[in-house]
Amino acid sequence: MGKICTSLRDFLEVLEQEGQLVRIKEEVDPEPDIGAAGRAAANSQEKPAVFFEKVRGYTNPVVTNVHGSWKNHALMLGMDKNASVKEQFLELNRRWDKYPVEPRIVAREDAPCKENTITENINVFDLLALYRINEQDGGFFFSKASVITGDPESPDDLNKLNVGTYRIQVKDKDRLGIQALAFHDIAIQLEKAERENKPLPIAIALGNAPLVTFMASTPIAYDQSEYAFAGALQNGEPVEIVKADTCDHLYVPASSEVILEGYILPRVRTVEGPFGEFPGSYSGCRKQCEIQITRITHRTNPIFENLYLGIPWTEIDYLMALNTSVPLYKQLKESMPEVVAVNAMYTHGIGVIISTKCRYGGYGKGVAFRLLSTPHGMPYSKVVIVVDEYVDPFNLEQVMWAITTRVRPDKDVTVIPNCPGMPLDPSSYPAGMHSKLIIDATTPVAPEPNPREVELLEPPEDTEKWEEIIRQHLEQLK
Amino acid sequence: MKCPRCDSENVRVMTKAPVEEAWEIYVCDKCCYSWRSTEKIRIHEKFKLDDEKIGAMQVIPPVPPLNEK
Repeated sequence: MGKICTSLRDFLEVLEQEGQLVRIKEEVDPEPDIGAAGRAAANSQEKPAVFFEKVRGYTNPVVTNVHGSWKNHALMLGMDKNASVKEQFLELNRRWDKYPVEPRIVAREDAPCKENTITENINVFDLLALYRINEQDGGFFFSKASVITGDPESPDDLNKLNVGTYRIQVKDKDRLGIQALAFHDIAIQLEKAERENKPLPIAIALGNAPLVTFMASTPIAYDQSEYAFAGALQNGEPVEIVKADTCDHLYVPASSEVILEGYILPRVRTVEGPFGEFPGSYSGCRKQCEIQITRITHRTNPIFENLYLGIPWTEIDYLMALNTSVPLYKQLKESMPEVVAVNAMYTHGIGVIISTKCRYGGYGKGVAFRLLSTPHGMPYSKVVIVVDEYVDPFNLEQVMWAITTRVRPDKDVTVIPNCPGMPLDPSSYPAGMHSKLIIDATTPVAPEPNPREVELLEPPEDTEKWEEIIRQHLEQLK
Repeated sequence: MKCPRCDSENVRVMTKAPVEEAWEIYVCDKCCYSWRSTEKIRIHEKFKLDDEKIGAMQVIPPVPPLNEK
């Protein structure tokens, strides 16, 4: 197992050593260069991170596409960069069970994110090389920030401290807009504060340890701790956190590049958007919350990390692929041990493939219903495909084989109308409502009749031997 | 100067480049659109805003009622 990085800077070093980071030394323009490079990196074979040393008019560097390939994803986990997606899924599952690995609270003077403090004339543009990500965005956005908020009714409960990824529009030098959708954890906390007409303290961490950013975009239960999960995913290495300066119950990642602190203004909504979103299209303008920044702390010469979003796949898809699959798998497995694997990598789990053994007739459909009643699956998941336990859900050719040879549309394809939906899915109407599609591609088991039972083809006896021979011949050709 | 999105004249300089006077950023105080002086702004017709559109926008998340004292 390789090194697991606990800061962005360490991770960038590893990426560079492994040939997964491109360094641009020439000066670039904020627009359209940085957004274009994010798209171009996603289009390329190796999909490297792109580090811009000099952006016109700014003093500090920018990096994008840090999580944007399966190679970078494997290196984030400290695995060989050529580890397969299924190997990475299995490794994440193994580490998931180490939860909780409680974070380690460090003193302010030991936290790199507190090296410098700004309390007057706050201007995020002085520090961060902000740029328009997509042409029709309504402004300059943080697309990869980890947002930390507490529960106003139980502020000291660290498990209810929420660390989440929310899109943030810069509205002014010290004013931000934030999208808190009703089913997001932050909305639960905001509602409690707004009912009392009180500001909700908030901290925004930019340029974090790669697994902290990864956990911030992972759907877990409201009373589970993202920091304790990130420690588990760091293979047992606790995340170091430090108390925020402006709020006693908020803790921020100690190794982050920049921390913005402030509060959400209660009962205020102003125009936000549009923003090119993860479904590969713009989400329009809506009236959303605003944040007042009152303090910034940062490392010396901070690196601004941001991501590009476009028609999948781009960097954001790697931040909602296996970290959507693993928690859904764990939640299903709890009550349905027959489930073998869950691939929820498509558009943040809007599309999901589950492989399961079927204990009795109709079981495949039951597994789909279970998925559609999990906290994430209920609003997000729309197309659910269930396959037999021997079908690899990460192998789409196998999944298509299962659909083409197992499905009888009149009984195996079901549409359930009038369910919760993901509002950013442009086919959801009204936004937030949707129907669900279940395709049961499992083989019928009793009491469901299976009148044309088949015998599956097995690989011929010496297949493995011949795999090795062919591999050796290919090596010689190189 | 007018806002390229909602045509409001309620626009101002939000900030200037930290170095080299390379650019300025403007913001519209009516529709919150912001842009850099070095950008070519081409707003799609469907994203243009007016009072009617702003008035009809969805509020996210909905503002809850105040708790009774």
